[in-house]
Amino acid sequence: MQLDFVNRELTVKLVYYGPALSGKTTNLLALHQAAQPGASGRLMTLETRDDRTLFFDLLPLRFKGHGGLSVRLKVFTVPGQVIHAATRRLVVQGADGIAFIADSRVTETDHNTESFLDLKHNLKEHGLELQEMPLIIQFNKRDMPGVRSDAELAELASRGREPVYLAVATSGMGVVESFVGLLHLTMGSLNATHDLEKKFGFDLRGLLSEVTEKLGRGRDVPAILGACVGGALDVLVPEAAEP
Amino acid sequence: MTAAAGPGLIDELVLGSTLKLEELIDRKALAELMESVRDLFRVPVRLYSEEGRLLADAGAENQLYAQLSESRPLRVALEEIVQRVKNLAPGPDGIARMSCITGARYCVARVEYDGHSMGRFILGPYALPGGTPDVAALAALEPELDAPRTTELFGKLPAVTDELATQIGAHLSRMLDLVLFSEHRALLTSQMHLASVRESFRELEDKSKKLESAYTKLTELDRLKSNFLATMSHELRTPLTSIIGYSEMLVEGLAGELSAEQRDFVQTIREKGEQLLLLIKGLLDLSKLESGTMSLRKDHVEAAKIVKDVISTVQPHALKKDVRLIQSVDPGLPRVFADGERLGQVLLNLAENAVKFTPPGGTVSLEAKLVRMDPEPLGTQHGMVLLATKRSGVEFRVADTGIGIPENERARVFDAFYQVDGSSTREQGGTGLGLSIVKRLVEAHDGNVSIESNQPAGTVFVVRLPLRHTSLG
Repeated sequence: MQLDFVNRELTVKLVYYGPALSGKTTNLLALHQAAQPGASGRLMTLETRDDRTLFFDLLPLRFKGHGGLSVRLKVFTVPGQVIHAATRRLVVQGADGIAFIADSRVTETDHNTESFLDLKHNLKEHGLELQEMPLIIQFNKRDMPGVRSDAELAELASRGREPVYLAVATSGMGVVESFVGLLHLTMGSLNATHDLEKKFGFDLRGLLSEVTEKLGRGRDVPAILGACVGGALDVLVPEAAEP
Repeated sequence: MTAAAGPGLIDELVLGSTLKLEELIDRKALAELMESVRDLFRVPVRLYSEEGRLLADAGAENQLYAQLSESRPLRVALEEIVQRVKNLAPGPDGIARMSCITGARYCVARVEYDGHSMGRFILGPYALPGGTPDVAALAALEPELDAPRTTELFGKLPAVTDELATQIGAHLSRMLDLVLFSEHRALLTSQMHLASVRESFRELEDKSKKLESAYTKLTELDRLKSNFLATMSHELRTPLTSIIGYSEMLVEGLAGELSAEQRDFVQTIREKGEQLLLLIKGLLDLSKLESGTMSLRKDHVEAAKIVKDVISTVQPHALKKDVRLIQSVDPGLPRVFADGERLGQVLLNLAENAVKFTPPGGTVSLEAKLVRMDPEPLGTQHGMVLLATKRSGVEFRVADTGIGIPENERARVFDAFYQVDGSSTREQGGTGLGLSIVKRLVEAHDGNVSIESNQPAGTVFVVRLPLRHTSLG
């Protein structure tokens, strides 16, 4: 996070993590497509010749915010391939919130687990604990054959703390929901840590409804937040910030 | 934080507040682009940074301003106008326009990247189509104004509408936005590449440090083990010598006659004691060889004599077992530069083994001959002409007609305490140290030992020792 006091502007870093080919870049493409002109900058991709992410993708989003604190979001993807471990570690550094994009297919279970452990390890390298990080999990590719059933995922999700979303990123389904869920947790956590509400009159509800509107989904934030199938959307309050 | 210093920079580049126009663009190349626009519309274009520095200039000769500047009050007024144009704040649409005291026009177009203002294009001065100079305003400042000349030069200014100027400005801004995007991307790519390489390097360095310290620890452990073995063997040998000595005296009746049964028992104590002593000697040898503290007393020794000695030592055992012994020594064999005692130990060990594993009626042969030795197999063919000079060597072959050693076991029989068939250790006797000592002794002589199959059955142990270059015939 960067706070520009002069321009009253907050820059927040969100990272889309997950195994290779789970649809991280596709999520960003769908967000980019959904965003109204003016809210989104160009999607920057640093990719190899075969369209695989080499370093990262970056989607800049801008929102006016309420209470005089405008918000810039820098949404990143990491390269999923195992060999890019060093790059993933670099990209995840300084992340304010993380969306973990898992592949719903049963055959991909091991890759999901490995990538999740990799995330945990990389955060630890930066001195961060996974449980302190605003995190949502998205099960992508719901339209593919051989996926884990909705009931099974709901059962699994109910045991975890993080909100879980179902998505088909290629068609855009679940993409905005996942993103808004992540933003809700991340901004809530930043607000609690940095007291944005008191210092800048930051308004989380106002920001979220601006975001949902500019992503073409109206202003019914509770309905969009309610799309998660498990876990809790309670904002993490860091211990230091508690009274 | 354990990661390298690079990522902070990446975050700054990405989060974007420190990006500067002059760091992203190639000023000369951009000036060329602006010149092409100027040539197209004849309107002078300049690019200024956010702080007001001129970054690229596609201006045009301006005879009107040159002429007016000859008058001091007009020059001051014109300079003031230029300052005002440079500081003109464009509106929400990114455009601002202004008139000069001459009646000429300026158009300012903001350069934005990712929502941040990065600088501005300034177009002009230009004249509106059919426009005339504001002679009255100029004359008010300079009474001696050459009005006809001023009007004539004003007519040479490029004539465009405000709308066109605005379009040109907006077009330039959009083009520059694209340039900035690709430049930003290229900058990020290279920075990211560098940071990734640095991060990978750091990771490798960490790992190799860990490996290095593990290696040091292991080496130290190995040394400790050898030391321990040497000390223990020595300490064990001392009391054992007494046990053997006293049981020998008992057998010889120095402490009074023993009954047949007593003698038998004491004899067993003595034999087992000697067996133990052999084992301890073996361990001691092995630890000395491993720690590199075995000293060899090398000399020019007669191979034939050593072979003969070995044959005569194993002869009684062979006779008892009905195993035939054959020796064959090349008569022209030069003397071998070796520790005679240790070489004897090697051959004796191999010969004893051969007899042990050969069934009654079989044959054990001991052969010594002069051979050409190939150098160690080389990893590459480069420089073979220099490296492959063949050396002469002496080859000892100890062949038996025993059970043989399967090919896949051959490398392992030289490991300490290893026997091909684990169960036969007790059956066949032996400490399991013999061959590992043989191998190390041969290597201490810069030689090598290998195993071949004997036809139709059995094993051949081949020991090759190099002759010194000086003795090459």
